[in-house]
Amino acid sequence: MAFVVSPSPHIHAPASTASIMRDVLIALAPATLVSLVFYGWAELLLVAVCICACMLTEWAIERFLQHSPSTIGDCSAAVTGLLLALNLPSSCPWWVAVIGSIFAIGVVKMTFGGLGQNVFNPAIAARVFLLVSFPSIMTDWSAPASISSAWGFSQVDAVSGATPLGVVSEGLRSGMTLDEIFAAHSFSYKEMLFARVGGSAGELSALALLVGFVYLLARKVIKATTTLSIWATIIGISMVFSFINPSSYTDPLFNMLTGGVLLGSIFMATDYVTSPMSNTGCVIYGFGIGLQTMLIRYFGAYPEGMSFAILLMNAFVPLINRFCHQPKFGRAK
Amino acid sequence: MENLSTFSIGGVHPDDRKISRDCPIEVLPLPDKVFVSMAQHLGAPAKPLVVPGDTVKVGQLIAEPGGFISACVHSPVSGTVKSVGLREDLAGNKVTHIEIVVEGDKWEESIDRTPDLVTELPEDKAWILDRIKQNGVVGLGGATFPTHVKLAPPPGKTADFLLINGAECEPYLTSDYRVMMERGAEVLVGAALMQKALDGPRCIIGIEENKPEAIDHLSELLSGLADRNPAYRHIEIRPLKKKYPQGGEKQLIDALTGRQVKSMGLPIDVGAVVQNIGTTLAVYEAVQKNKPLITNVLTVTGDCLPVERQHNYLFRIGVPLSFIMEQAGGVPEGAEKIISGGPMMGKAVARVDATTVKGSSAILYLTGEQTLRRPEGPCIRCGRCADACPMGLEPFLLKKLAEAGDFTALEKNAVHDCIECGCCQYSCPANLSLLDTIRIAKGDMLRIIKSRPKN
Repeated sequence: MAFVVSPSPHIHAPASTASIMRDVLIALAPATLVSLVFYGWAELLLVAVCICACMLTEWAIERFLQHSPSTIGDCSAAVTGLLLALNLPSSCPWWVAVIGSIFAIGVVKMTFGGLGQNVFNPAIAARVFLLVSFPSIMTDWSAPASISSAWGFSQVDAVSGATPLGVVSEGLRSGMTLDEIFAAHSFSYKEMLFARVGGSAGELSALALLVGFVYLLARKVIKATTTLSIWATIIGISMVFSFINPSSYTDPLFNMLTGGVLLGSIFMATDYVTSPMSNTGCVIYGFGIGLQTMLIRYFGAYPEGMSFAILLMNAFVPLINRFCHQPKFGRAK
Repeated sequence: MENLSTFSIGGVHPDDRKISRDCPIEVLPLPDKVFVSMAQHLGAPAKPLVVPGDTVKVGQLIAEPGGFISACVHSPVSGTVKSVGLREDLAGNKVTHIEIVVEGDKWEESIDRTPDLVTELPEDKAWILDRIKQNGVVGLGGATFPTHVKLAPPPGKTADFLLINGAECEPYLTSDYRVMMERGAEVLVGAALMQKALDGPRCIIGIEENKPEAIDHLSELLSGLADRNPAYRHIEIRPLKKKYPQGGEKQLIDALTGRQVKSMGLPIDVGAVVQNIGTTLAVYEAVQKNKPLITNVLTVTGDCLPVERQHNYLFRIGVPLSFIMEQAGGVPEGAEKIISGGPMMGKAVARVDATTVKGSSAILYLTGEQTLRRPEGPCIRCGRCADACPMGLEPFLLKKLAEAGDFTALEKNAVHDCIECGCCQYSCPANLSLLDTIRIAKGDMLRIIKSRPKN
């Protein structure tokens, strides 16, 4: 009788690439559900289009250009698709979503060699690509006025929602102080925490995103280092600035709950492929993202800044990996 | 839960699967013939002292050490030497074996075969070391390093700690656990003997928290011994957090003393000597009973093996693996891989008629589903290998550098520090054969380092 012979180890942990990607999809489920409830059919279409277009693009490239076995079973294209959908305004037309998906997978992921080889996060890169290509579509935050109208149960009417960051940036430019802006638009932190109209589909509810974060940590899919480093930097910088001049600089809580900080810091900046390998590296990377986000918000032309910050820091990851390593055994003392 | 100590970097938590933990140690019957390997310790192979036709008794010296780092080998049975020649070991390598046809069970008269516990410790440490050497004791924790060499630190170095490894961190294995439960007092005397040989360092016995019975049992025995004999008052039993590879020498030293052995360094450099539970029992038998290392305890286990066929056997070293497997009811249905040792670091058995050696600790049956390798995917840079590595290495990087043949970078990234524990390959979600590649690169790296002229 012949037996299998191979070197140790002879057993393997249950986790696989596909199981990790499935965990990310599960962690995104609460945020997706909230966006579906509030934005209705339009959002359902966007999610479906993005996921299908991403998977199809990957399949087609592997089938017709690379002549290699398909890798869509690892679910990473589905994760990219869902993340992209959650990064678009719910009013975004389906064909823009298709262009974004093809760009994310075709250009950002596959041209660099597919999973594990891409320098930039595909979903973030696609979002920025769309933002520069279709600025008016990508900043059209009009949304259904109510849940029933979102699902077609009552007359379809829309409100031209604006993102809090957009309103603030607009108001400051026109010479208003923060207090006046906040008084004119009734933003409440409670709304931002649970469900707020105005912004990318995925950032409706901070709470839903935090639930996903806890799930990812509990399943040990990600480590908290990068996310916490981003949060600490954003809170730190906005605390200093809002303390010095509270009438022109927004406070920490406002900055944490708006402009995709939670979505970006939990789901996009922690992408394995485009973030550093070591803990020290993750701290530096997170600091860089937080710093650039706040610089763009306080002094830049764009109101939000998170996507640009992540994209820019993606480019530094190889450099960070070169200089930051995990501590080796027996070398510390 | 109290805050238990463990090693500081990396580690993984494979499922325990200590299925055979409650199977008492049984004495394995004698086979028709045994094959005694001349290469069952680290270092130079032993030199046979017998020729075909010689009659031997149990415990008779049949091979002498082949160098400074080498060990004596004794006959595990009585009978007639049939042949001395090359035979394949479990991996298929040709090694000199002495084949002995078993006739009766006649022991050397010098061996004390009574079950009485001898707790009085001899005064002369040179005499203790000599007994350990003459009786061929080697480390039974995996590396089979000759014990008398380890217990005699080089000039200028002293042992502050004698650490007894009762972690048994490999899944499935239960032989050390059974020895602690059934031969606990002898283990404690063995520890005290080694303490004496090392001029009285602190002795700590580290046991993982998943064996609370062993922790309680040894603690009870120890307080009994310490009441009657002050020599036992400097032994301590310390529970450890469960984490693989806690039983790795460097990891155990870190867990129990907080000291870290430097790269390419030896435990004695930080004042530590580590011995395993089985070795400690062998030291007791060698010194107090003058019994050579001719028996050891081995676990026969596996998920596909019915519970009533799981065993912990006291076997004569040199019995063929196939004989033990027959005694335990043959290869169970569904077994596709046989491991000698644990699932993380054990060796796959290529030849079932290969013989047992001093370091044999288990026969483990794995099913195809448990052990077949899934196809490799691309590295997703999740960093799990680096988080799992107990040496703080970066396996993903080492694999890439090894494939590129960049030995300058491999040395900088300390490929030679790899302890081959398998944590990286075990954790990799892309099923990359990390350790396979790194193991080869490590071998080449060590040869490069050794070939350099010494200044």
